[in-house]
Amino acid sequence: MKSKIRTVTLLAVVLLALLLFIALGGNYYAHLLALVFTNVILASSLRLSILCGQLNIGHSAFMSVGAYTSALLAKNLGVPFELSLLGGALLATVVGIVMGYPSLRLRGVYFAMVTVAFVEAIRLIVQIWVSLTRGMSGLSGIPKPSLLGMVLTTKTDQCYLALGLMVVILLILYKLEYSRLGLIWKSIGMADNLALSLGVNVAAYKLLAFAIGCFFAGVAGAFYAHFVRFLFPPTFDFLMATNILVYNYVGGRGHFWGPIVGAAFLSWLPEIFRGSEATRQYETIFFAITMLLTILFLPGGLITLPGKLSDLFRRRAESVPSSAPTVMTPGQRVAIQGNPKG
Amino acid sequence: MTLALLIQSMVIGLSLGSIYILMALGLTLMFGMMHIINFTHGAVYMLGAFVIYYFFGQWGVPYVLAFFLAMILLGAFGFVIERCIYRPIKGGIEPTLVALIAVTTFVQAIGYPVFGTLDKHVPTVFHGMYSILGVGISAERLMIIPIAIVLVLGLYLFINKTKMGAAMRAIEQDKEAAALQGVNVNVVNALAFGVGFALAAASGALMAPIFKLDPMMGEQPLLKAFIIIILGGLGSIPGAILGGLILGQIDSIVATLLGLEPAFLLSFVFIILLLLFKPTGLFGHEV
Repeated sequence: MKSKIRTVTLLAVVLLALLLFIALGGNYYAHLLALVFTNVILASSLRLSILCGQLNIGHSAFMSVGAYTSALLAKNLGVPFELSLLGGALLATVVGIVMGYPSLRLRGVYFAMVTVAFVEAIRLIVQIWVSLTRGMSGLSGIPKPSLLGMVLTTKTDQCYLALGLMVVILLILYKLEYSRLGLIWKSIGMADNLALSLGVNVAAYKLLAFAIGCFFAGVAGAFYAHFVRFLFPPTFDFLMATNILVYNYVGGRGHFWGPIVGAAFLSWLPEIFRGSEATRQYETIFFAITMLLTILFLPGGLITLPGKLSDLFRRRAESVPSSAPTVMTPGQRVAIQGNPKG
Repeated sequence: MTLALLIQSMVIGLSLGSIYILMALGLTLMFGMMHIINFTHGAVYMLGAFVIYYFFGQWGVPYVLAFFLAMILLGAFGFVIERCIYRPIKGGIEPTLVALIAVTTFVQAIGYPVFGTLDKHVPTVFHGMYSILGVGISAERLMIIPIAIVLVLGLYLFINKTKMGAAMRAIEQDKEAAALQGVNVNVVNALAFGVGFALAAASGALMAPIFKLDPMMGEQPLLKAFIIIILGGLGSIPGAILGGLILGQIDSIVATLLGLEPAFLLSFVFIILLLLFKPTGLFGHEV
């Protein structure tokens, strides 16, 4: 109970800080933060598949479907933002179910490779269907987002919208993960054969997790379309899909907060290189090195870093007062390890 | 489509297929033994092409020598990756995958400052045209086919006739049992990394005189190789060869008829349909 109060207080503080930052940060930071929030939604929505043990490297495909659907609905048919966002998300879900149904019976690496095919298939369809999507010329002139007929003209207002979307989606995902449904997903992720033998309809639950993930990826895509207001097929490529996956692993896939920390950290990271053109090209290099170091030295992700650090300090604090000799005599070593010949 | 155009497309498809096969063989070998997908394969293909660009194109080393150099250098890179990435992670499939993605991103990103942002070109190695049944085929595309056949035969003999090859097959069947029989699993895995990387470098080196070079050039061949090994069945070497031949023909004939992008799309749709009816691929052993 006490830790729950602490968590809620911490979250409230973070939320207030974000609101304050958006209000005072100006257009630049509002733009950046909105994109960070979009990445957080994407990373967390992928988490559902990861819970079921499905390695999905194709999430940007569904973001693309959501983005293009919403943009085209609003631009060509004048559909209001709320409905076009919903339309984008729903079509992303439908496409996700159609593609996921045949492929979700594959496991692990096999599934991962098929999802790579998803990304490319969707990207190529968007690229070829020039009459609808304008292909490689890019789709521009997408209307700004609006709420209840009120157009959000400034980046700051749009950033509040992104924050709102993120908070709502994270709440839903949190509730899902800690519900009975979340338990079933985790059981599938840990031992799907066992879950199957206990009467869990593994295929249906995997598809459900996948479809919900696609829905929120579609929401993120739709917001992105109306926020950036220019869509280009290669934006939603394999690289973006791997980034979404990487957010989960760098943040820590073992915890609900992992993808959030990972997405926020890695999306903010390039800021270090802002300004000078000379360092700009090292942005991706630094990104890759961070990724690699985290995987090699923090297998649990960044989320485990505070715990590890406090462990380290505690151990150091404990070891200081005891002045026991660090070098053991051979006899002591045998006593600890047991008789090597025994 | 006239007969002449069909024959031309088929020969070009065969030469494309040869490149795909060289890419896919390394992937499928490494998958069979270690159950990892080597995402670095595309970056290695790119590096192979750049070795040719510098040694052959810039510094005037003979092409054959530069070709072997590409295979040796990148084979060594394979050993390094096995030692520094694969082994420390201890076979965790997903962390390995993310780490390999990180290596790929790193190599590609560092390519821009190192190689420059402009597209590079390598001078033609095999000049002239050959005439097959009255159809002209450029020599450099045609020459890929015999070189690929030699490399594939070499790999076949290595895997089936040498002690190291037997160790590889043993690991593929059962890693623990192989280790109990005295196979040094780490060394053999490193060798598989080396062989796989060398083959990818070879395909990059063969393609260097034909296509323009840039740090992202490996992405498309990597995706092709993915399709091939799903098509042929993950871990299956005959499957990779057959898959490569099929995809080469699709890419050449369908691209001539409908354009490049529809051909690529068709291969992805084909994969998704194949998975519906035969999830193991053409030669696969397991799902």
